[in-house]
Amino acid sequence: MIVLRDVTYGFGGRGADRGRVRPVLEHVDARFERGGFYAVMGANGCGKTTLLRLVAGMLAPQTGSVTVEGRDVRHFAARELAQRMAFVRQQPQTDFEFSAFETVLMGRNPYQRRLQNESEEDWHIVEECMRQTNTWHLRFAMPGEMSGGELQRVMLARALAQRTPVMLLDEPISNLDIAHQFEILELLRRVNHEEGKTILLVVHDLNMALRYCDKLLLLHRGGVLFQGAIAEGLTPENIRTVFGVRAERIDSDGQPLLRLAPTTGG
Amino acid sequence: MERGRFDRRGWMAVAVLALVLVGAMVVCSMVGVVRFGWGELWQSSIFLNLRAPRVVLAVLVGMGLSVCGAVYQSVFRNALTDPYVLGVSSGASLGAAVAIVLGLEAFRVGVGGCALLTGLLTVAAIYRIASTGNRMHTTTLLLTGVCITFLMSAVISFLMVLRQDKMDSIIFWTMGSFASASWTDVAIVGPVVVAGVLLVLLYCRDLNLLLTGSETAQSLGVEVEKVKRVLLVATTLMVAFCVAACGVIGFVGLVVPHCVRLVVGSDNRRVVPCSIFAGGLFLLVCDTLARTVLMPAELPVGSLTSLAGAPLFIYLLYRNKRRF
Repeated sequence: MIVLRDVTYGFGGRGADRGRVRPVLEHVDARFERGGFYAVMGANGCGKTTLLRLVAGMLAPQTGSVTVEGRDVRHFAARELAQRMAFVRQQPQTDFEFSAFETVLMGRNPYQRRLQNESEEDWHIVEECMRQTNTWHLRFAMPGEMSGGELQRVMLARALAQRTPVMLLDEPISNLDIAHQFEILELLRRVNHEEGKTILLVVHDLNMALRYCDKLLLLHRGGVLFQGAIAEGLTPENIRTVFGVRAERIDSDGQPLLRLAPTTGG
Repeated sequence: MERGRFDRRGWMAVAVLALVLVGAMVVCSMVGVVRFGWGELWQSSIFLNLRAPRVVLAVLVGMGLSVCGAVYQSVFRNALTDPYVLGVSSGASLGAAVAIVLGLEAFRVGVGGCALLTGLLTVAAIYRIASTGNRMHTTTLLLTGVCITFLMSAVISFLMVLRQDKMDSIIFWTMGSFASASWTDVAIVGPVVVAGVLLVLLYCRDLNLLLTGSETAQSLGVEVEKVKRVLLVATTLMVAFCVAACGVIGFVGLVVPHCVRLVVGSDNRRVVPCSIFAGGLFLLVCDTLARTVLMPAELPVGSLTSLAGAPLFIYLLYRNKRRF
């Protein structure tokens, strides 16, 4: 279980702006239960990525605390944390020269000792994770030779290879075509159901979130507007408040669906 | 499948390089102004006291500088860095020059210690200046190195005017040479380089992860700040003692890891072990050429390494791709 208590974080000004802090998150309280499939949503710049990075222990909150399994996340050794949480960043980096296979193999690092080589098991896990994310055929490809979506799937494979109970995913499907979006979300739902992985997913597509996630953390202007079941959170009122668009809930074969339109015209 | 092939290739390369290095050490200690036959080798004081320590020192310094280059390239995530380009060698040579002016040259460890101090200050400065933001900007890194080199040559000119009697030994530090190599140098540089290289070997996988970015490395279980600190201190120690023994020799740390990568790929678990032996070999060959090409006159070994390194550096700049 991950708990954020009264968390504030702001980016300090540099140079002329020194001392002026631009708050991103202010007094945020949130909790993520084990085994939940959470959508973290909100408008651009509302602090979704910052929240994920705070949970991952990459940033230290200016007030409040982030605890994982009751322990402050900043007190974990990097290795311990890497065995508990996998993180997929928004923009995959491409400026190194490791093949997709070598990249995914790095996901096994938290389980390897110094000087120890990859075990037979590591190789099987990597192959399995690459097949799951449909990247096995890309195993010899270098970052420069892959499309944004392919690279994103490789990063997801690396996160899966970490075999962590928690996955933090920052817009993993934003670069993908619709077929691969479904494929990845089906996969995430499967690992969520079958392996009980907790997933925190930053996602922009409201209908995809509604279809796949069960919980919602809706951020608005640096605070939490809603936390709870996603079907109760993605209401036309909340969507209008956060995104400023009109939404209408319709029923499509028993699946709730949101019809969206701009506030003006339409 | 891939593993068997890669591992075999990596170990083959290391074994071949080690064998070639041993062979080269034998051959290089045979050639020179004075020639020996096999029998007289062990009675010749030229061989025992001049040539053998010189060959061993060149190999040790080559190993140290190459491994440092490979480490810097991964830690700073920039293919254009090595101890010379970053100004760490110059910074260390400043300490060495100051130590000489202060009259510490009788204590080799004192010179090394002063070189270490200014070398560490240089690394700390580079790290602070260049680490604003997520990635190390090439421009910032290179300009920092250039500035430190300028500063160093300014202070060195000042010292030379101040102590004209010591001019020769100060110039020696800025040019780089193995001409005065002795077993004492080997005894001081040897343990530092061996210990430093062994330590770096423990961190090869961390170096790979650092190449993918600090944040990613952290989330994959690397104590990024700690690892960087350990590696930068260890490498600066190696650079400082190499510089204190033989002065500033440029581009070794740039040339060797790049050539190695062309053969074994960018996995540091292969790059670092291969760079150890390839680096020893490279500097040994350069030094042997330096003392034999214009026999009996001697070229500065740094001019030969720069002859190889500077064009490569320009080519890398031209290609402008951070390729590892």
